[in-house]
Amino acid sequence: MQFDLGTTRDGLKDIKSRMAQGILAYPSPKEFLRNYSDMVDGLVRKAFQQAQSQVSTPSVCVIAIGGYGRAELAPCSDIDLLLLYPSSQKEQLPPLVEKVLYPLWDLGLDVSCSSRSISECLKMAQSDLHIKTSLIDGRYLDGEYDFFRKLYDLFSKKVLHRKVRKFGESLAKDLYLRRQKYEDPAYVLEPNIKEGEGGVRDFQIGRWIVRAKYKTDRWDSFLFPDHSRTLDKNLQFLWAVRNQLHLLSGRRQDDLTFEWQEKIAPILGFSPGARGIEDMMRQYHLSTQKISNFVDDVLERVLYEPSSFKKTFLFFQKKKIDPNFGLARGELTLLDPITFKREPAQLMTLFQYLQVSHGRMHFRTEEAVMEALPFMDDRLRSSEKVNQTFHSILRTGEGVAAILKKMHNLGFLSRYIPEFSEIEGKVHYDLYHVHPIDIHSLLAVEELEKLRMGVYQKDDLLLTSLIQELEKPEILLLTALLHDIGKGAEGDHSIIGAEMIRQIGSRMGLPKEDRDLMGFLVSHHLSMLETAFRRDLRDEQIILRFANEVKHLSLLKMLYLLTFADIKAVGPEAWTSWKNSLLMELFLKTSHFFERDGVTGPFLKGEEMIQKLKASLPPEIFSEVGDHLPERYLSSCSLGEIAHHIEMARSLEKTPLLVEWEAEKEVRAKVTICTKDLYGLFSKITGCMFLDRLNILEAQIHTWGNGVALDIFWVEDATKGLEDRLQQFQRDLGEVLSGAVALKSLFLQRREMNSIHQKVIPGVPAEVKVNDQDSDFHTIIEVTGEDRLGILYEITETLTDHGFDIQFARISTLGNRIVDVFYVQDKWGQKIEGQQKVEHLKQTLLRRLIA
Amino acid sequence: MKKIEAIIKPFKLDDVKNVLSKIGVQGMTITEVKGFGRQRGHTEVYRGAEYKIDFLPKIKIELITPDDMVPQIIENLERGAKTGKIGDGKIFLSPVEEIIRIRTGERGKDAI
Repeated sequence: MQFDLGTTRDGLKDIKSRMAQGILAYPSPKEFLRNYSDMVDGLVRKAFQQAQSQVSTPSVCVIAIGGYGRAELAPCSDIDLLLLYPSSQKEQLPPLVEKVLYPLWDLGLDVSCSSRSISECLKMAQSDLHIKTSLIDGRYLDGEYDFFRKLYDLFSKKVLHRKVRKFGESLAKDLYLRRQKYEDPAYVLEPNIKEGEGGVRDFQIGRWIVRAKYKTDRWDSFLFPDHSRTLDKNLQFLWAVRNQLHLLSGRRQDDLTFEWQEKIAPILGFSPGARGIEDMMRQYHLSTQKISNFVDDVLERVLYEPSSFKKTFLFFQKKKIDPNFGLARGELTLLDPITFKREPAQLMTLFQYLQVSHGRMHFRTEEAVMEALPFMDDRLRSSEKVNQTFHSILRTGEGVAAILKKMHNLGFLSRYIPEFSEIEGKVHYDLYHVHPIDIHSLLAVEELEKLRMGVYQKDDLLLTSLIQELEKPEILLLTALLHDIGKGAEGDHSIIGAEMIRQIGSRMGLPKEDRDLMGFLVSHHLSMLETAFRRDLRDEQIILRFANEVKHLSLLKMLYLLTFADIKAVGPEAWTSWKNSLLMELFLKTSHFFERDGVTGPFLKGEEMIQKLKASLPPEIFSEVGDHLPERYLSSCSLGEIAHHIEMARSLEKTPLLVEWEAEKEVRAKVTICTKDLYGLFSKITGCMFLDRLNILEAQIHTWGNGVALDIFWVEDATKGLEDRLQQFQRDLGEVLSGAVALKSLFLQRREMNSIHQKVIPGVPAEVKVNDQDSDFHTIIEVTGEDRLGILYEITETLTDHGFDIQFARISTLGNRIVDVFYVQDKWGQKIEGQQKVEHLKQTLLRRLIA
Repeated sequence: MKKIEAIIKPFKLDDVKNVLSKIGVQGMTITEVKGFGRQRGHTEVYRGAEYKIDFLPKIKIELITPDDMVPQIIENLERGAKTGKIGDGKIFLSPVEEIIRIRTGERGKDAI
């Protein structure tokens, strides 16, 4: 037996593809769905009529249910049919069902059909949520109309409008379970249009409940016209995307993956490339947010609205908390609906009450908020009272994130801070940033709040204690909320955002210091992360530079906290102990620096010097050495000296060693030595000085980043042969450094000469202190003892023998007492580790000091 | 075919990536790892409280390459990752028996 529905599989494909080509010509995506559904109706009817003519059929009725019942049939969605029959004719059904289904299946349609009697339908609808909801949307197609009418009369009376609250609860549970499933960040980037949060299914839940509760098909009957129009647009947008998804993929594809985002955006008129995709996804997220709010709103009505009897009762129970607001059963209510329009400033007061009462907002009050939004103007935004209320909400510190979220959901936040609307729903087209920027910003606030409550105490103890000791947490929260505010514009979002947050701050009437603080934090909100992940934290210069950028310990703390919030709010996987260990290292080193040295002294002097050098040196020379000059060096020499040193360093290519001196009075001289740094250099220099009987009064040794050693000594010779001795010293040092002669052998040669008997004067006790705490980069060794010729050589030789590299030294002689400080590292450029090593060094040093 | 694994300092990742992509390395796997070798963890003090850093953060790079590329890759890896200080990391080289690209079922060199 041949079935003929007037078309073939290929014919249907043609029809579909013609519809697809003309899809943009439909007045709305929903119109397209209806059209497609009408076409399918025709086929089903034909199949049914043919089947009836071929089999001796009982009287039955064909009903379209589910999405098809609503005449919202997406191109590859299931087509659900219900065959309704009188219970006596059950056995005659299977042949009929076959005859209806086969030809439709042959056409490639995804049809499924259930056959039930009226009583079965009702019974199952009572116990099965899915069957109940699919029946709600039932639509008569063909056959005995009486059956259809009878079913729906009974369904309405016995099932749909009974136990509405319980129905709401079951749907709320379904909603909750789905939200949990699709909460995974992967679904935020690649959402599921049907099942995801704010998707098509969510909307249907809202509609079913309206239907059950208010007995009307007009899902928007209780909404304000404006609101319902926007919502309809949002829904149409989802349909438009879903239609394309089905048509392009040729299957029931509801996951809007990157692949399809890329293809669909241009079709829907978004600009090509990443920008267009981001724009489309922004609209997607804005739409789903609205739908999600809608369904929450509807559920709220069903689950919480008390019966009319209770209403009267509650009226008397309601506690008036001020002339405008009342509180009943933890629900905040606006007493007179006109209040907000008359005095929009009360909106902010409402949110403050909401925070204080830890309660919910009555849905009528929520509606009043949304309705009053157009009345929020610039005057309100700069009203002192409103702004102060907002700040006290932030300052209270409890439930701030929840309040901000509520403000955001009701559209209040972006009316109060219009800049915020620019980042609403905006997405980054990449895998790292999971949430749209507005949600990310709200999450950042939430993370800080959790941190402050001690939620992360176990893993992030330091951060927890930092936020708890913060003086103005409200400023940090506001900054977190607005840290990406510049992302709505083109360009560097940190810089743009900093300017914007200053303006917002000034509109809110914040004092200048707070505005500057927020501006600073926003402009630097990526610096800490970049320094921690991309720079060598064992390099003192890096820490110094970062410290100079941050300028103050209190700013450093806030920056660390903001960095935490920013990363944590990116997605659940983003914040790891790995990342934190780098950030913490940077934080601790920089904070030590602030606490010990302060950034104002040597560093600023160093910075100033660099600027001066930049101005006075030829650019090619500056760029060659500028970066290599350590702060300590810059702050201890004059511009003229540094310029001269740079000249010396540049001539090192020709001569490996430069020694210069200026004599003061015949007995004293300042000696400048410039050479390539090598291990034990300082000890060799002091050794040669000892050899040539130059007494060292002071020394500064500097190692530049490019391996140039620049050492400055103040020496003395009591015998008035200074010039000769210095000449001799230069020769000796040259030979020792070039390796022509070993220092030791020079000592042996001139041993007798050096055994000078020195005057006996009151002794100075010898002491060696090893300090491991005061620097994150060096071990500091402080040596005090009695001065004698060659003592510095003995000390430095000991240090060198123990494998310590002297990076910096400050040598001073007070009468017959020396106080020498050495900054040392081991051969690998690390601080000295191991108590034993330190102890051993101490003992040797002490022995040699006393000897 | 060989597998090259390297443990490097986190801030050297960009440098290493640059030198490797210059010589035509197509892909690699990056993992954030923690550990210690000669360079030990340490204790940091802030306001009298001690914060122990037992394991140091490092980056692990893994890549698979034909044998003939090995010397060049290792040389560049070394250059890119070196600071000369302790904790610069290590490079491990090991043979790989087979590679299969799951999508196409390609095997051996073609699947790299």
